[in-house]
Amino acid sequence: MIRRTSIRRAVWAATSSALVLVAAGCGLHDDEKPLNTLAPKGKQADEIYSLVTPVFLVAGVVFVLVMGAALYLAIRYRRRKDDVDGVDEPIQRHGNTPLEWGWTILPALVLAVLAIGNVKTIWTLENDQRDAPMEVEVIGQQWWWEFRYDVDGDRKPDVITANQLVIPAGTTVRLAIQSNDVIHSFWIPMLSGKKDAVPGRTHHWAITAAEPGIFQGQCTEFCGLSHAYMRMEVKALSQADYDKWIEHQMAAPEEPSAGSEAEAGKQVFFTKCASCHQVNGYDDTGKKLDTHQPNGDYRGAQHPLIAGNAPNLTHIMSRDKFARNMFQLYEDGAKLEGVLPEGDPNAGTLGSWLRNPPGMKPMNADANRGMPNLQLPEDEIRKLVAYLTLLK
Amino acid sequence: MALVNARTPLELPSGAETTVRRPLGVFQRPVRPTGWRSWVFTVDHKKVGIMYGAGSLLFFLVGGIEALLIRTQLARPGLKVLSADLFNQVFTMHGVTMIFLVVMPLQAAFANYLIPLQIGTRDVAFPRLNALSFWIWLFGSIFFNTSWFLGGGADGGWFNYAPNNGVIFSPGHGIDFYAVGLQIIGVASLISAVNLIVTVINMRAPGMTWFKLPVFTWMALVTQFLLLFALPVIAVALFLLTFDRLYGSNFFNASLGGDPMLWEHLFWIFGHPEVYIMIMPSFGIVSEIIPVFSRKPIFGYPFMVFSGIAIGFMGWGVWAHHMFASGIGPMSVMAFSLSTMFIAVPTGVKILNWLATMWGGRLRFSTAMLFAIGLVTMFTIGGLSGVTHAFAPADTQQTDTYYIVAHFHYVLFGGALLAIFGGFYFWWPKMFGYRLGEKVGKWNFWLMLIGFNLTFGPMHILGLQGMSRRIFTYSPDQGFDFWNMVATIGAFTIAVSVLVFFANIITSFRKHRRTQEVVSGDPWDARGLEWMIPSPAPEHNYDEIPVVTELDEFWHRKYGHDEEGHLVRIASAEEVSQKGDATNVHLPSPSYWPIVLAAGLPFIGYGVIYNLAWAVLGGLLLLAGVFGWVMEPSTDPEADHGLHGGDDLEPTAEAAFEEAAAGEGDPQAELEEAPR
Repeated sequence: MIRRTSIRRAVWAATSSALVLVAAGCGLHDDEKPLNTLAPKGKQADEIYSLVTPVFLVAGVVFVLVMGAALYLAIRYRRRKDDVDGVDEPIQRHGNTPLEWGWTILPALVLAVLAIGNVKTIWTLENDQRDAPMEVEVIGQQWWWEFRYDVDGDRKPDVITANQLVIPAGTTVRLAIQSNDVIHSFWIPMLSGKKDAVPGRTHHWAITAAEPGIFQGQCTEFCGLSHAYMRMEVKALSQADYDKWIEHQMAAPEEPSAGSEAEAGKQVFFTKCASCHQVNGYDDTGKKLDTHQPNGDYRGAQHPLIAGNAPNLTHIMSRDKFARNMFQLYEDGAKLEGVLPEGDPNAGTLGSWLRNPPGMKPMNADANRGMPNLQLPEDEIRKLVAYLTLLK
Repeated sequence: MALVNARTPLELPSGAETTVRRPLGVFQRPVRPTGWRSWVFTVDHKKVGIMYGAGSLLFFLVGGIEALLIRTQLARPGLKVLSADLFNQVFTMHGVTMIFLVVMPLQAAFANYLIPLQIGTRDVAFPRLNALSFWIWLFGSIFFNTSWFLGGGADGGWFNYAPNNGVIFSPGHGIDFYAVGLQIIGVASLISAVNLIVTVINMRAPGMTWFKLPVFTWMALVTQFLLLFALPVIAVALFLLTFDRLYGSNFFNASLGGDPMLWEHLFWIFGHPEVYIMIMPSFGIVSEIIPVFSRKPIFGYPFMVFSGIAIGFMGWGVWAHHMFASGIGPMSVMAFSLSTMFIAVPTGVKILNWLATMWGGRLRFSTAMLFAIGLVTMFTIGGLSGVTHAFAPADTQQTDTYYIVAHFHYVLFGGALLAIFGGFYFWWPKMFGYRLGEKVGKWNFWLMLIGFNLTFGPMHILGLQGMSRRIFTYSPDQGFDFWNMVATIGAFTIAVSVLVFFANIITSFRKHRRTQEVVSGDPWDARGLEWMIPSPAPEHNYDEIPVVTELDEFWHRKYGHDEEGHLVRIASAEEVSQKGDATNVHLPSPSYWPIVLAAGLPFIGYGVIYNLAWAVLGGLLLLAGVFGWVMEPSTDPEADHGLHGGDDLEPTAEAAFEEAAAGEGDPQAELEEAPR
């Protein structure tokens, strides 16, 4: 009698907890959560997800069995109130060697089967990267990501952007991940696993977006003060749109009209900003150069930053966020998914940033890591915003 | 050889006369049997174990407050309870504190207290070294925490990757305190490892062959071997780091030919065995508790022992599973992924053997038993999540997210720490002579279990949904709000359960003081040798060293079995227990030198960081400690701490065996008289 009730109880408890788990699991695939690893949107994330699903299933089964067993044993073999010590005592079993060998070998076999899928996926991901038709350099530094595209294959960057990595949808891209200072990690969960950016090394890793869209990312190797705020995104465009985007990025920067506030802003820019920030076609004093190809070794005359340089701002308004992809460049309601964003520039946030960057994100600017507070007067801020919002 | 001068004559059995020579020295040896001096200068393994336990519990509160600060800051998006800088310090110090100042020394507390008792001997092989380990650990831990007052705690994470751990990216002294502090603490564990290995190899009671060793002693022994080989690796890493930070070397500086990956490898070659160091003694604790409260022997003793040894060996071959995303290349990733998958096998065997011990038993749910079953269930969850990230591609999504935070808290808190609490409830009567309240204990357990699951369960979800580790805040559009709030509520529930634990200690102690009741030597009807002596354990442990004929020797003196395997009582616990009233026992004497020597190390530490003058002072203290120690005999011939009944020298155990071999005398009687 007792045995049947306790078995029933244990089965009930185990099934209900299993159902709870399954229900919770169903809610896990929510792709409203922008960093969800369980909502794959590209080949590599899919491959990982296909490996993870059977593994979680097996783990779930083991979980239910072990918890169920523990519950059953606790109920079935508990000391009853009327048990007499020294009389009602259990049989002193010391072990059961065949059983123990069995439960050593069986898990090993299960793991061996799962290992096949494991090894296959490891090498598939590696071959995805080796066979990828295009490559983008991804360079991490405190606390932002730079992207360099070598379009004509001459080993010199033709496009240098920041924060938003634009790729053609449906094409596997090989990322050449590097770091200019400490270890960072590049991670766009919906598209792939993460790969560390280690100074002195280049790590290759494949990423594919199945369909056009914007996919969020986060630096995932602790890198100091603003690690939490070191974000990036991938924008996938149709091949045609991507080609347009590349063409746009390789074009010369917009020039302000004479006498405008934006032109005054350009003067301020080359006095105050150009020692770290590059605008293609100019050197750090504002002198126009013959070419508007970006300078891959851009350093201001004083090159104060330990990591070397700051984001290239030539086409800043072609991105939708700034400052490690944290703050919006466009007001709410802007259309962000096309080749170029369409909407009203968010002058307010840009102005706040220029007023006091360390106030908006923790940085070690006084140790040459991050953007300092340049103590810009208000009129200069206004002029700079006018110039920057022009740079689409 | 001690430096001595002559004093009173000594009578020998042969009738010859000789003189006892008193050691030269400025100080008399500390002799007080009570009061603070009997703790500060003790070399008794039991007192050392208790001090390790008390110190660890204090740091548990420190680490716990650091945890509550983290959880408060992360309760909602965009909070400003802690600045980014302070948050980085708090999570770093929380990790280092919980690992090196709480879990490891708690395991040392149990190992120190129990190993000599479980193997039937009077103390460890090197009692003064044992005290030295404790004082070095304590001073190192305090030194590490003074960083809070001297410019800020370490802020690079407990794993402290290069080059972020270097002087350019972390210019304050926090990481210097990390490097030097952990170096000091590491020395303590290394010394203790040597001590306990020698103790178990050499000092087991007669008849206690290897396969009659209690499972706890086996697990603790494997742990000591892991410590012995892993600590030198972190010592090297910390030396390289100290030289990079303080003396301008470039071991981890890529631009000058160094390699940040070197730190990762060195750290994790230590770091992986480290986690087995933290869990194995807890496996041993559970293996002691479950049989007692199931009234059955441990199921599959040989498999339990061999799986522990297997884990000890295999643990060396998995370290780069912490580096699957670090760029080690697909061959290495594959190799380490496979080795990591298979280390689940010996661990799984243990879970099944514990369950099988309960099977067919007569289970008594004392608080200790609840905590032990807690490990079995919660460690299973942590182990399963661990297996999911043994699969390297899966790990590229899971690593550095809250899924990993969930995993290691399930194995370390739900595993190591729950068993430690079980160990407290189980062995408290042996240590102090009274039980911790069982009613309050149940509240302690259930609050802790519920709070723990509320805190770390949701972190699995947070991690899979993309929340990175070590971030001081998150944004509302990332979708992490709800589960973070749940986790914070859980954390405060754990805090309440910890307060309940301390309240239990206070109220139980008060009740014991009031009623003057002392619990018997065997309050749980248990199995091991340590229950054969009175509670609290007398200073000399055993009146007579027991002769061991089987595993669970004490149990088999109380119970036999009939043909069907049912238990039959053959003697009461009192009949086969020892009285604890022996008066002819030589014990190692207390000493000043361990604490003096240990005190030198923090001064050397401050000297290395600030001004070498302090290091010179520390070095002098160290040398004074070493010389004083070396010139002092391990046992003061004049010692009279109530147990040395006179000047007559008893034959040693070895002499008794030799006599027996030569056919003279009655070896059993000789043994029983041996003053070992």
